[in-house]
Amino acid sequence: MKKTYDVVIIGAGHNGLTAAAMLARSGRSVAVLDRRATAGGMIGGGDASLAHLIYNLSGSEIGALGLRDRLSKVDTVSLSATGDHVIVGDGGVTFADGRAHPETAEYRALVARLTKFAGLLAPLAEAPPPAFEGGMLSRSGMRELLRLGRLGLGLKFMGKADMREFLRILLSNAYDVLRDELDDGPLSGALAADAVRGSFSGPRSPGSVFSLMYRLGQGGQVYTASNGMDEVAEAYAKRATDAGAAVILNLGVQRIVVENDQVTGVVADDGTQIAARTVLSGAGPLSTATMAGIANFDAETVRRARNHRCKGTTAKVNFRLGGMPTVAGLGANHLRHRLVVAPTPDYVERSFNPAKYGEIPDHPTLEAVVTGPESAPLLSVNASHVPADLRGGWTKAARTKLSKTVLQTLAAHGVGGLEGAKSVLVASPADIQTDFGAPGGHWHHGEMGLDQILTLRPIIGMSRYRAGPDGLYLCGASAHPGGDITGAPGRNAAAQVIKDGVA
Amino acid sequence: MGKHDTYDAIVAGAGHNGLTAACYLAKAGLKVLVVEKNDWIGGAAVSRSLHDGWTYSNCSYVCSLLRREIVRDLELPKYGLQVIPYEGGATFTPDGDYFAYHSDHDALRREIARHSERDVDAYDRFARTVVRQCRFIRPFLLRPAPDPASLKPRDLGELLYLIKRAHGLGGLELAETLRFWTMSIGDFLDEHFESDLIKAHLAGSGIIGTGLGVYSPGTAYVLLHHYMGDVDGAIGAWGFARGGMGAISKALGDCLAEAGGTIVTGSGIDRFLTTDGRVTGVALENGDTYEAPIVASNMDVKRTFLGHTDRNDLPSDFVRAVERFKIRGSSGKINIALDAMPDFPAAPKDATFLRGDLHCSTSLQELERAYDDWKDGRWSSNPYFDMLIPSQIDPTMAPPGKHMMTVFVQYAPYDLQGKDGVRSAANWTEENRKAFADCVFDKIEQAAPNIRDRIVHAEVRSPLEIETEVGLTEGNIFQGELTFDQLLFNRPVPGYSQYRTPIKGMYLVGSSAHPGGGVMAAPGANAAREILRNIGKGSRMPSHAE
Repeated sequence: MKKTYDVVIIGAGHNGLTAAAMLARSGRSVAVLDRRATAGGMIGGGDASLAHLIYNLSGSEIGALGLRDRLSKVDTVSLSATGDHVIVGDGGVTFADGRAHPETAEYRALVARLTKFAGLLAPLAEAPPPAFEGGMLSRSGMRELLRLGRLGLGLKFMGKADMREFLRILLSNAYDVLRDELDDGPLSGALAADAVRGSFSGPRSPGSVFSLMYRLGQGGQVYTASNGMDEVAEAYAKRATDAGAAVILNLGVQRIVVENDQVTGVVADDGTQIAARTVLSGAGPLSTATMAGIANFDAETVRRARNHRCKGTTAKVNFRLGGMPTVAGLGANHLRHRLVVAPTPDYVERSFNPAKYGEIPDHPTLEAVVTGPESAPLLSVNASHVPADLRGGWTKAARTKLSKTVLQTLAAHGVGGLEGAKSVLVASPADIQTDFGAPGGHWHHGEMGLDQILTLRPIIGMSRYRAGPDGLYLCGASAHPGGDITGAPGRNAAAQVIKDGVA
Repeated sequence: MGKHDTYDAIVAGAGHNGLTAACYLAKAGLKVLVVEKNDWIGGAAVSRSLHDGWTYSNCSYVCSLLRREIVRDLELPKYGLQVIPYEGGATFTPDGDYFAYHSDHDALRREIARHSERDVDAYDRFARTVVRQCRFIRPFLLRPAPDPASLKPRDLGELLYLIKRAHGLGGLELAETLRFWTMSIGDFLDEHFESDLIKAHLAGSGIIGTGLGVYSPGTAYVLLHHYMGDVDGAIGAWGFARGGMGAISKALGDCLAEAGGTIVTGSGIDRFLTTDGRVTGVALENGDTYEAPIVASNMDVKRTFLGHTDRNDLPSDFVRAVERFKIRGSSGKINIALDAMPDFPAAPKDATFLRGDLHCSTSLQELERAYDDWKDGRWSSNPYFDMLIPSQIDPTMAPPGKHMMTVFVQYAPYDLQGKDGVRSAANWTEENRKAFADCVFDKIEQAAPNIRDRIVHAEVRSPLEIETEVGLTEGNIFQGELTFDQLLFNRPVPGYSQYRTPIKGMYLVGSSAHPGGGVMAAPGANAAREILRNIGKGSRMPSHAE
């Protein structure tokens, strides 16, 4: 390992690796340090992979990572306690027994509209968010207005009716928008669940339509990795190393060295000093500021970093099964698709209630995927609305309760064959924070609320990836545009470094 | 065959906004008629004597938002309007303590310090932010909301005004403003304060009248709706209209009469009359018809168009938009005649803060749980209330030595869940209203243990009674929820934010229109300005533009 690099990146998550590849390709010498034994952050790690699906990765990224033949489209199966499971996918919108769903047309129209609006917002994700430093009428402010003007023009071209609808629902809540178009059932329930997965909100929280549109940014298609998520993690790491970056594992960063308001390097966990004029951090604003020394940040920034909203609410619970599970009324060909427990939008909202008070919901909103060999498949479950700050703490009993609740909820919605399920992973949001450094254990490294997106993400003053001292940048999901496997924060951060012309 | 007459303009509904619009129109020289279904005027700004000797402000109950420009234009004090500011307020805890709010800054700092040393300075920071946000928003209240889908010079002009004001904030402050407007009151308070009690005391203003919880994004903005008013120039101050809220309506009515306007009470609108997509007048339930080329509805947007307008006159997408306009009621009201001042054992003798708004909710979690009940169709088992005893400073409200108490209760759903699990307004039976009131009285006892012994009469109003008597659909006090998707150019319906409707000559003047609810009179004044502009008489109304 060299002792001097142009750029050190803290954290080999997919965003750090994306930034590494880009910066290495620009001719800089780059090292990525990660405390974990595997690269990829929340992706990969075998049976313990937190990510189990890919929702939001652009087609060009899939191509660039060489994953085009490695991902398979999956349908969404929204489970129902009464057996009227709804399947949304290439075959249209049907019930499990093949009957067409009566709301097919309404559903398609709604999703098409939301996807169209999401497409309009997508360019915003591809660059740093608008900033108005120096006022709106300064030269840079005018440039920003012009950018927003282009968005406005895109709006105009949609026509008046669509434009008005966009401006109406943009800040609205998913519950009302869904219930205006669809009946109460697994179809609207699955969309409600998508609107809040990973976040500390229910479908009735204003702003949940925005997060639903964010999820639909690349069209809303869901993929599984045919050979497991490890392959996706490896693709990210490979892209970085192929570009010439050094990916150094089992070595975390203890602190970031700042001299005279300029980053000069990092000190690794083992005491090694690595010099670098530019440091990109995949951690959140507060832990980044802590690593770099709070004294190097102004008091307002520290206050804002402390108030960063990042209450993790999604737990990962994985089970090893003795054989393929069954779902009453569902064909075996659908068992490896995305199984969702969100029978109604009200159910999803109610599942959020206990989380607000530090309790595990008795009826959580779930997303499950079955992977691995038929003889011993892995049942991988995301449980929404499981609080990081559980009252009484994340004791062994609390983990057992969560596992049990997940299995009971699946069983209540028709999933069978769970009797011999062996728990292989219970990662509470608190664990996710400890193991991955995600702020608050939050999926998106910070709530994707209206008060924490675009110029306000992650906190005011850090939205352009620059954080405090010269040469320090944020490159993780806490930065704009936010979470999911998109690589966009990493890419934008690298672009900002290149634009700033540092190191 | 009923009565028949012709006017220049007719206003349907004698709420404070309808009366305000009528006053401006009459003062501009129009021959104006106001029709009202009740035997009295005022809508939800009324004083009613429901128990001999007592006067109740039985709907709206305190005054602050009433725009002073309007008070001045219409010379309301000349017609008897007097707003008496009240001081203080308190939240009582179950263990016999309280947090008292004082208008006196030093007294307030001492009281905050009693609960948390750290929160003393936090309060000043909090107050600064809120006042800054109020200053930013106030000039927009008496302007129409620009329609972003329109390229008309006026809309572009309003948009430019908005950009100019935003620019005036500077980059950092603009970002702070955007954040404030989109965050929840709970998060906002959590950022400032450590004391649960102080947070709970301040949080109420963010949820009153809404179908949102303290942690729902957008509630910090609702807080502004309760802070941006003033009494005699004191920003954020609240007061009692002497003689009850009906004094505002009475002053407006007298002003209208002097300007030559007419009010007919006792019969509601049957339907709005139209010919070829143009309004021609109104037909009343009693068979009377009145004609006018201009008709302004003070009823909410749902009642106006879904209840009293021929669907054939309306574009189908407009009807669809009105149907999905959200107007869920979330509050109830209990008005009480007391035979003596109840005892508040926790409070020092003759504490001045008892003259302000009193509460018993002691944490944000408690408030959020109260909201969860409402979502599922139940009234809050542990409710939030805003309780005042105005007769302490306005002796006209009750006989000497006796008192009148008003209790605004949140949350209460309109479509209450029945024992069968079905939600319906019909479930607001006498029995359920009594149970609802008992639940509130139980909690009031936390502050005033002998409250039940003092009650000589109580009027319990669920959202259903508010709807039936006042005409507010689903009992929503703001004529439509104050959420992002129903504010500014989206209020009440995208494309119709500027008081016009698809029917030529017909306007909306109530709180369904921008800038929304509260006894503000801004929608009424703004609508009158639009009407006068459209008939080329815009110069006959004072300009409120800054």
